[in-house]
Amino acid sequence: MENSPLYKIANPESIAFFGASNNPSAMGTSILNSIRALGFTGRLYPVHPKEAQVQGLEAFGAVADLPQVPDLAVLVLPTAIVAETLDACGQKGIRHAIVVSGGFTEIGAAGAQLQQALENVAQKHGIRFLGPNCTGIVNSHHRLNSTFLPYDIRPGFIGMASQSGSFITQMFDYLGRYGLGYSTGFSVGNEADIDLVDCLQYLARCPHTRVIALYIESIRRGREFIETARAIVPHKPIVAYYVGGSEEGRRAGFSHTGALAGPDRLYTGIFRQSGVIRADSITELFDFCWVLGTCPIPAGKEVIIQTHSGGPGAVAADACGRSGLKLPALDADTLARLAPFVPHTGSCHNPIDLTFTRNPLDYYLKIPEILLESPSCRSVLTYFLVPSKTVRQSLELMGVAADQLESETEQVLATIAEAIAALPAKHGKPLVGFSFRNHEDPFARMLYALGLPVLPDPGRAARALAALVAYRRLKMKIEKSGSN
Amino acid sequence: MPTTASKIIQDTLANRRHTLSEFESKQVLAEFGIPVATEVLAKTAREAREAADQIVYPVAMKACSPQLLHKTESGGVVLNITTQTDLQQTFESLKAIAPPPDGILVQAMVPGRRELVVGFNRDAQFGPCVMLGLGGIFTEVLADTAFRAAPFDRVEALDMMAELRSARIFDAFRGEPPVDREHLAETLLAVADIAVRFPQVSELDINPLLVNPEGRCVAVDALIVLDTGLKAEGV
Repeated sequence: MENSPLYKIANPESIAFFGASNNPSAMGTSILNSIRALGFTGRLYPVHPKEAQVQGLEAFGAVADLPQVPDLAVLVLPTAIVAETLDACGQKGIRHAIVVSGGFTEIGAAGAQLQQALENVAQKHGIRFLGPNCTGIVNSHHRLNSTFLPYDIRPGFIGMASQSGSFITQMFDYLGRYGLGYSTGFSVGNEADIDLVDCLQYLARCPHTRVIALYIESIRRGREFIETARAIVPHKPIVAYYVGGSEEGRRAGFSHTGALAGPDRLYTGIFRQSGVIRADSITELFDFCWVLGTCPIPAGKEVIIQTHSGGPGAVAADACGRSGLKLPALDADTLARLAPFVPHTGSCHNPIDLTFTRNPLDYYLKIPEILLESPSCRSVLTYFLVPSKTVRQSLELMGVAADQLESETEQVLATIAEAIAALPAKHGKPLVGFSFRNHEDPFARMLYALGLPVLPDPGRAARALAALVAYRRLKMKIEKSGSN
Repeated sequence: MPTTASKIIQDTLANRRHTLSEFESKQVLAEFGIPVATEVLAKTAREAREAADQIVYPVAMKACSPQLLHKTESGGVVLNITTQTDLQQTFESLKAIAPPPDGILVQAMVPGRRELVVGFNRDAQFGPCVMLGLGGIFTEVLADTAFRAAPFDRVEALDMMAELRSARIFDAFRGEPPVDREHLAETLLAVADIAVRFPQVSELDINPLLVNPEGRCVAVDALIVLDTGLKAEGV
């Protein structure tokens, strides 16, 4: 990982910062403040032609005046002076940069010329850089956030490279709701130097990254992308959300093949060849990452659904069918073990519908454990009618004092949450939850924090579980290729 | 180095043509080990008769010309010719269509119910991309296809078959055995090989690639399109 051009960009010990001032509304100022807000522990050197202090930090008139050669330069400057500033950084000895500034190839021919000038400067000094026209990076484990939005969620396990900066920064809050977060997120911008393939190589080796997420509008180094992804997938899953050119945009050709080779169909094949799981929306991208980053890999596509309400169970069963998952009948031994927990109104056909639960511990611990121990079960999909209120009521009826009700309820819920969250690792099989409750419920929050995925919709849970099954298939396919 | 294919491509480029005729296209395929329908390019009615006698009736007849890209639409294809009289008449009528064909292909009728399409085109980012799809007249309506960037291996070729929505077409079907998947994989790899070896070939189509009653695939029609901006040497 230390050999990656991204290592110093994602793990700098010192940063030269261009474009922050004492104007609080400047983009550069916001970014400088983001870096400080996350508690970056390295040295931070604002460079400003006039100010002696910037946001309370000692500022330097020129990069040449800095007391050391920083690991990284961050440039949030007007387009016209970006190349000359990078040149000065190069002369100082800086070899890594993030160019946040826009106004390059994305605006047309004039910008393309400026970008070429920037590339020439970088090449002259051997500088590797991210951007231009990007929101930069967040490496939550290094306490580095070079984006303009504060990263106020916990460090996570999703490593992301995105061709849209918004899908890094504007997802902080969204991911935080589910107890998720980025290990490292890269906004690659115009990819003048560092591109998606470099990010893949870095994230493959990043120890905090358990799953790699990609937002792709177009892949520049096609063959390298395929080879790199195939080398990673046996060790780490990759999920991509691709938004490409329209089918109408395809090049007219003489052949049927040419007529059928629209970008969407082509990318479907390319992702499959690369071992990359394709998501159909941004929410699905993160649903898949959530399940892929937390669950053991199932040994097959057979799922047992556990519910205590008919409708949610039926919807989950339907979604499993549509996602290519199988719902096997339970074996006689498992049925016998379940019997004491199933009321006469319940059903032991798959979905296992308990209709009501006498004791939440039966539903959240004993029953899933019996299901996970069954040889006919590869995964369990469990409906969570989160029991916070029920538990509180029971405790109240049991005579728990009013001033202890809150903490006692929390205690009981924590016990249940910890018990069920420990099951997947114990049995080596995934247990994915779905619920119509969300992060506003303390029990749901506990489950999220313990790394048990509970998705907000049965269809989303089934598709995410199917992505996990797909990962197993892709991994096996590539391993088989490798052994040929 | 595949010598026949090199020569055909070289000659075509030298003549500033950018498509190979069906007959030429299939010679290229055959050299790469792809089974093609038995056929003879007949210049005269007598040659056509002799060819049909050898191939055994019924036969198919097609006007053959690199200018003729849509033979069926121009009335350049006649199937199931069973008698010498029909053969004679068809020969004359095909000879008369415009643009004038180089010759008339007399071709064995390949039995089989399942039609596939295999080909490649070139993508700016991924280079040659090989396609497998459901073939025949509904190819573009159904658009059931799988693509892989060449080169790729046998495992990927087999996975292309699994990727089609109609993947069950490769199983036993209406009294015919399952498709010989290994054999079809070899065909896909051969097409990828053509793509990698001949950068001058910009597009290739085998449509239909017919599955015969033994479950093996046979190229019944083919088209190779060249990029005239490139030099003639193979790699």
